[in-house]
Amino acid sequence: MRRPPVVMRVHIRGKEKGFGLWLPLFLLIPLGFALVIAFSPLILVAIIVLRRRQQLSRMPGIARACLRTLRSPRGIRAVFDIFCSMPGLRVDVREKNERVYVSII
Amino acid sequence: MSENQKKILEMLADKKISVDEAYRLLSALKAEPGAPESTGGPEVKARPKAKYLRVCVVPGEGHQHDEDAELVNIRVPMSLIRSGMKLTSLLPGEAREKVTSALHEKGINLDMRNMKPEDLDELIEALGELEVNVVNGKETVRVFVE
Repeated sequence: MRRPPVVMRVHIRGKEKGFGLWLPLFLLIPLGFALVIAFSPLILVAIIVLRRRQQLSRMPGIARACLRTLRSPRGIRAVFDIFCSMPGLRVDVREKNERVYVSII
Repeated sequence: MSENQKKILEMLADKKISVDEAYRLLSALKAEPGAPESTGGPEVKARPKAKYLRVCVVPGEGHQHDEDAELVNIRVPMSLIRSGMKLTSLLPGEAREKVTSALHEKGINLDMRNMKPEDLDELIEALGELEVNVVNGKETVRVFVE
């Protein structure tokens, strides 16, 4: 079984200033779950209202795709799968004195 | 006759493996005389499974010390690609059609509606042999799987 990511390391260095971050994802996951559970009635109401007013089709494609993903168990599972596949991802781009580094462990 | 050779011949006699497989196993044994003796069934050494897709941009020869040289080092887990491609099945129908027509305009005849999970696995398996090297004067771009 794949495990969810534990830590995200972000390091951004500009021409003059820079900063580094260690984000403890293992602490953010329970927070994220709590937020999703807390907001799920609102999301549900929004979907029902938009569908009744037939405005769902007028929404931008990305918003519709997000709602569609959130309302189906298959979608939630796919998003969770992606989240659990992230450990090992590393992006490192450097130019002159600037650098963007993102690593998920 | 070594223990392994005996086992291979026994498996052939018991029709557990075909003549071709027995020949391949015997050849492999001959090729690696110092290899540790295997006790299991017919094992054909497989290529190690690809774990990451790498994209690297490094300065070309003679430009290693350029101050404005751009360095890119990206490592994407193959499992992330696999999960991402599975997510395409959740795309709304019209978005999928747009993607299909955009690909068609570029000369790629890929219909995302016809993609099955086994096709995805095959595609990702095939990526394991991918290696692209682009060298121009200033930089070298490498796309490979490790």
